[in-house]
Amino acid sequence: MPKPVIEVEKLAKSFGDNQVLKDITEQVNPGEVIVVIGPSGGGKSTFLRCLNLLETPTSGKVAFEGHDLTTLDTKSVNSLREKMGMVFQGFNLFPNMTVLENIKLAPMKVKNTDDASATKRAHELLQRVGLDDHADAFPDSLSGGQAQRVAIARALAMDPEVLLFDEPTSALDPEMVGEVLNVMQELAKEGMTMVVVTHEMGFAKSVGDRIWFMADGYIQENNTPEAFFANPETDRAKDFLSKILM
Amino acid sequence: MKKRVGLLLAIMTAFVMLVMPLGNTTHAQAADNSLEKIQKKGVLVMGTSPDYPPYEFQATVNGKSTVVGMDVQIGKKVAKDLGVKLKIKSMSFDSLLVALQTGKVDMIISGMNPTPARRKNVSFTHTYYQGGYDIVINKTDKAKYKNKDSFGGGTLGAQTGTTQYNAAKSQTKNTTVKGMTSQSDLILALQSHKLDGVAMEKPSAEAYVSNNKQLAAIPSDFNMSSSATSSAIAFRKGSTSLVNKVNKTVDQIKKENLVKKDYLPAAGKYLKTNTVNTSMTHYWKAFLTGIEYTLIITVCSVFFGFIIGIILALARMARGNFFKNLLRWVATAYVEFIRGTPMMVQVMFVYFGLGLFVNLPALTSGIIAISLNSGAYVAEYIRGGINSVDVGQTEAARSLGMSNGKTMRYVILPQALKNIWPSLGNEFITLIKDSSIVSIIGVTELIYQSNIVRSDTYRGVAPIVVIMVLYFILTFTASRILNYFERKMQHA
Repeated sequence: MPKPVIEVEKLAKSFGDNQVLKDITEQVNPGEVIVVIGPSGGGKSTFLRCLNLLETPTSGKVAFEGHDLTTLDTKSVNSLREKMGMVFQGFNLFPNMTVLENIKLAPMKVKNTDDASATKRAHELLQRVGLDDHADAFPDSLSGGQAQRVAIARALAMDPEVLLFDEPTSALDPEMVGEVLNVMQELAKEGMTMVVVTHEMGFAKSVGDRIWFMADGYIQENNTPEAFFANPETDRAKDFLSKILM
Repeated sequence: MKKRVGLLLAIMTAFVMLVMPLGNTTHAQAADNSLEKIQKKGVLVMGTSPDYPPYEFQATVNGKSTVVGMDVQIGKKVAKDLGVKLKIKSMSFDSLLVALQTGKVDMIISGMNPTPARRKNVSFTHTYYQGGYDIVINKTDKAKYKNKDSFGGGTLGAQTGTTQYNAAKSQTKNTTVKGMTSQSDLILALQSHKLDGVAMEKPSAEAYVSNNKQLAAIPSDFNMSSSATSSAIAFRKGSTSLVNKVNKTVDQIKKENLVKKDYLPAAGKYLKTNTVNTSMTHYWKAFLTGIEYTLIITVCSVFFGFIIGIILALARMARGNFFKNLLRWVATAYVEFIRGTPMMVQVMFVYFGLGLFVNLPALTSGIIAISLNSGAYVAEYIRGGINSVDVGQTEAARSLGMSNGKTMRYVILPQALKNIWPSLGNEFITLIKDSSIVSIIGVTELIYQSNIVRSDTYRGVAPIVVIMVLYFILTFTASRILNYFERKMQHA
């Protein structure tokens, strides 16, 4: 059994009186693709954001490669975040920079990579997501699918150990979902460790190694896609699946 | 006699007294070495307010605008008898006493009369000139008015806070007395029939009448004590040795009647050369200097104000531990305080207040004060700009491992600046206009220069029109340039 990349222990998170995450203990192993599914408001996004400390957990432990993020100083958290790329529902590309500059910014400013090698690497990544011809475009001229692929390339530019996806296709027009999922599938094939919050059940089935079904602040089920979709154990999961699969 | 006791002066004097009690007492107790100090320094700095012909005013001498007048002649004689060089520093009359107390000048010769109130704060020499008051009227009214008692039902004007203003108020009946700060404005009001007469000192009245054929002077017949109509030189309190020495010069001036014999006629000559050519183009150099200084002040203040603004904005957004909260509190208090006090007071505070500790030139003081002021406003724009950037931008940058500072610098601020560019541009244009406030401490920017041209030429309106056009050209050009950059930033 390899050492887990991410370990979550008794994680809880409240916003005021609203307890969104109640008690979560789970692990992510290297190379695994975890797909987090569940009803809206079940705490999926909050959970994901706790993994790289965009949200500060109220209690519990989030460890990355053995380091408990909740006890580290800001500087160490910053450097561990480099290793956890994140892709957002709303892309969050920097609108004042070209595609190429978006990708180069963090390597140059955080890792002090020189301009030439950062540019070279950016072009490689853009080729990988099929957008090298858009290197000098500004984000506002891209379609949603293109913007999200650039966002993935930007996250990859920091050579992360893990990629976190927060509903990466939810803001896209249906015909663009495929191009983004394809890129993610490629990454999974190459062995990238990924935690994906999504509503794309097809992706969950075909790409996921494990499904975490989240509802009411707990991970209610943790199973392989085959087992989960064929035989959901909890009523909560049965109810959820019956609603989306018809 | 000029005897203004403006509110600002009172505030500044109070401030000086608050800050200086220690310095003052040790001064008084120490052996008086004022004379020795001046002679060692080799320079005597004379403070004066050159808007009061024929006492002191600006004239173009050899192509350069110079302070001249009978007080300047007296200053020269004093310096010569002390064996030192004379340096003249111009500022508004209100500022003179504070300037003397804070060491910006060594003496005041500015038609100042030695009232008991003033004697408490400064040491006066013997009086060097005994004046009196006239009332200037429109020549067409000459038959109507005889003296102060003829203005029943009418309106008299005088410089605010002066002796003649108080006299006009207390010694007339059924007469409205209107105060204005500048003599040229009063004359203008007289000519446009907003006033029926203007009370002023005899020499000034004579100067106006001889330069303007539509005006005439009548005696005021104010009932005055001689101390209220005489002029003396002021030195810092307790400079006994210096005052005693200068008294000898003053006595000689009086004995030989130098004022009437030499100084006043000489001043009159300058007044004439001044009024030979009163076209505005003749004074283009004065206006050019004004533009130059206005631009220097504005550009420097925008630059430093922007830096201060960014620092303040970030400080106001600091949150977390005790130190950060304290920082936020201080920055918030600063912004509130600056926005809640007039820029004019801030300018005077920097020039005179900080002047107690470091001797800052007027231009530097002006730039500092306006930068500090502008910084408070810019900070609020920037804070708004930062808040207007989507929180997702911060999250994206942080998720890439960028620190808080780098996120701010490379991701948030560039976008914030683009959002607030129009407001910043507005601030820049406001500063071009607001920089005029430093004229009160004698910086030769546009307003100051136009006042000089006005008192030089006895023309009230033309210089105002000229600087109005000049200001508009400056602001309009600036707004065009800003628009150009706004368009360039449009991408994104």
